[in-house]
Amino acid sequence: MECALDAQSLISISLRKIHSSRTQRGGIKLHKNLLVSYVLRNARQLYLSERYAELYRRQQQQQQQQPPHHQHQHLAYAAPGMPASAADFGPLQLGGCGGGGDAEAREPAARHQLHQLHQLHQLHLQQQLHQHQHPAPRGCAAAAAGAPAGGAGALSELPGCAALQPPHGAPHRGPPMEPLQPSPAPLPLPLPPPAPAALCPRDPRASAACSSPSAPPGAAPPAAASPPSSPTPSSSPGFYRGAYPAPSDFGVHCSSQTTVLDLDTHVVTTVENGYLHQDCCASAHCPCCGQGAPGPGLAPAAGCKRKYYPGQEEEDDDEEDAGELGAEPPGGAPFAPCKRARFEDFCPDASPDASNISNLISIFGSGFSGLVSRQPDSSEQPPPLNGQLCAKQALASLGAWTRAIVAF
Amino acid sequence: MAGAGGGGCPAGGGDFQWCFSQVKGAIDEDVAEADIISTVEFNYSGDLLATGDKGGRVVIFQREQESKSRPHSRGEYNVYSTFQSHEPEFDYLKSLEIEEKINKIRWLPQQNAAHFLLSTNDDLRINLWHLEITDRSFNIVDIKPANMEELTEVITAAGFHPHQCNVFVYSSSKGTIRLCDMRSSALCDRHSKFFEEPEDPSSRSFFSEIISSISDVNFSHSGRYMMTRDYLSVKVWDLNMENRPVETYQVHEYLRSKLCSLYENDCIFDKFECCWNGSDSAIMTGSYNNFFRMFDRNTRRDITLEASRENSKPRAVLKPRKVCTGGKRKKDEISVDSLDFNKKILHTAWHPVENVIAVAATNNLYIFQDKIN
Repeated sequence: MECALDAQSLISISLRKIHSSRTQRGGIKLHKNLLVSYVLRNARQLYLSERYAELYRRQQQQQQQQPPHHQHQHLAYAAPGMPASAADFGPLQLGGCGGGGDAEAREPAARHQLHQLHQLHQLHLQQQLHQHQHPAPRGCAAAAAGAPAGGAGALSELPGCAALQPPHGAPHRGPPMEPLQPSPAPLPLPLPPPAPAALCPRDPRASAACSSPSAPPGAAPPAAASPPSSPTPSSSPGFYRGAYPAPSDFGVHCSSQTTVLDLDTHVVTTVENGYLHQDCCASAHCPCCGQGAPGPGLAPAAGCKRKYYPGQEEEDDDEEDAGELGAEPPGGAPFAPCKRARFEDFCPDASPDASNISNLISIFGSGFSGLVSRQPDSSEQPPPLNGQLCAKQALASLGAWTRAIVAF
Repeated sequence: MAGAGGGGCPAGGGDFQWCFSQVKGAIDEDVAEADIISTVEFNYSGDLLATGDKGGRVVIFQREQESKSRPHSRGEYNVYSTFQSHEPEFDYLKSLEIEEKINKIRWLPQQNAAHFLLSTNDDLRINLWHLEITDRSFNIVDIKPANMEELTEVITAAGFHPHQCNVFVYSSSKGTIRLCDMRSSALCDRHSKFFEEPEDPSSRSFFSEIISSISDVNFSHSGRYMMTRDYLSVKVWDLNMENRPVETYQVHEYLRSKLCSLYENDCIFDKFECCWNGSDSAIMTGSYNNFFRMFDRNTRRDITLEASRENSKPRAVLKPRKVCTGGKRKKDEISVDSLDFNKKILHTAWHPVENVIAVAATNNLYIFQDKIN
């Protein structure tokens, strides 16, 4: 499919459509906004994938300058249709992320961006986890149940929450539509995206994610650690297949898992049916990962949940890479309360009224308007991936970006 | 309602030729929003043809008796009645404006003793009305979740089975169809059958959900099949097979590479309808550039025709059109980029017995019939 638009443009277009639908005659069209929210979700997932890919690749380049600590670990992400050198997203890479440049100068920025993406990723993970734990998809900003309203209650009709669900699993036979529940989403998007196949880290600290697929883990050869050479097939079907594999890409085993390797603690965390297992990839018989053992610091016990502190992104810059990303697991605290707390800021239980709506707008006000506008020079825009932005700006805009997307 | 095509003509695309018969509506280039036709429907005998528009008006055309001076000509449709059916309303409680647009017209089957009517204006509910009880209705399907945040799909179309008055189907925005039996329970949230085709993972894109949303569902006259329309295709389902359609027809596959642009200009949200001919041997649906498509289910041939003023001479034969999808454009072909996406044919109707079709092109109604020997 020829598409001149990248994920970022699609997101802004979609948000603009939702925004303008409030003023259209006849009120908000539920069906249309529901469909727009699906596009928003798809574009967002791709956007996150791309950013992960770029930043992980950049980190990979940094770490190639350091001596490898471990044997090459075979934490390969693979799914049918995935390009082998998966970090290369061809024309859809955002910004000037074609590599080159001063890797060392960009290192702090890259690391910060990596951290921010990790934060985003954790957020995404939380969403999926929350969805596993609760039948309802995680709520979106103002979509409290309520009668449709043209004005103040307009946001309550935004079905944008649907945008936050991971792609549905293979079509399932009918559970009845009432109460209307999403597919249990047995196949959350594997995270991070294809890039790790290229990184195929010699250093376990290089981020990699293994997901559940039944595809042979050996799909990404060690040589993939070198900068990708062959471009992704430019045909879009191949690209989309790579970006978020369809449910059928996954085998029966680990069919409801997603696995993440934490960059600093080397903890491999798996979400399965709403519970975290941190030993999945350590088991030899698990085909979803390669042979590599996760690094030190592996927390024990299936079912152990790991809490993410959103406030812990402000790390000391002088620390070694190990300290920057993620948070030490405090033990035992579930994701959900953390997430709810985050969204209680703008998920009022009461029916939305005009004052709540204006609060919403003001909360992510400039971020929202930045999203809607396509001016690339706006400081509220998510940073283009040229690695030259200062960390604070990137962090601030990314936060607004996250909130705005999530709000819809 | 099954009936052979008039004169025993094989129905559908290539076996005979379609001729222009009539066009109704203003020629003015500047189209008023209120004049846009939003529904077209023949009655059960085909003698009456109704249209509704966005302004809330209904126009009913009646077929003239065949005149003795021209025994071979089919009767023309002339205006029989017109009235303002709906006015814009404002629900002050919900701060919601209710459009006056006519969404659907359904004629009463005169022979049917059960005078019931399905209304599906609501995305989340289906109500059943008894024609003699106007102050209340039965709610038979309700998919509104307790928490609207859990909403993932809406109802997009519904229809009664032509023979079994207790059976109806409704389609969803996720590309699924549910068949329900009203005898099983008062609230038909549990379906008897669930029709869904597995998604092809190789064709996944940003817009997969949008293009799989079903915009129309229709039972065949025989009651054995049903047909669904999504953005790019028409599918025929056997009611006895739930896991995939028995036939799939690509309406305008060349648009698959244009979905981004169609999303930007909102065309991807257009809701096309589809219809059967009287004998269920052919199906018809609309497209862009005032094109409409017919598929013959027996011969598997298809044809693309255009509703345009240029082809509007009486009994002028419609020439098949072709869209050039790549490579060198032949003469008389039109390239995909030249298509006018503002000229869309969303509503079509086929006479229940004869080969007479009504095609709504924005604010004009075209009537075509098969060639008279």
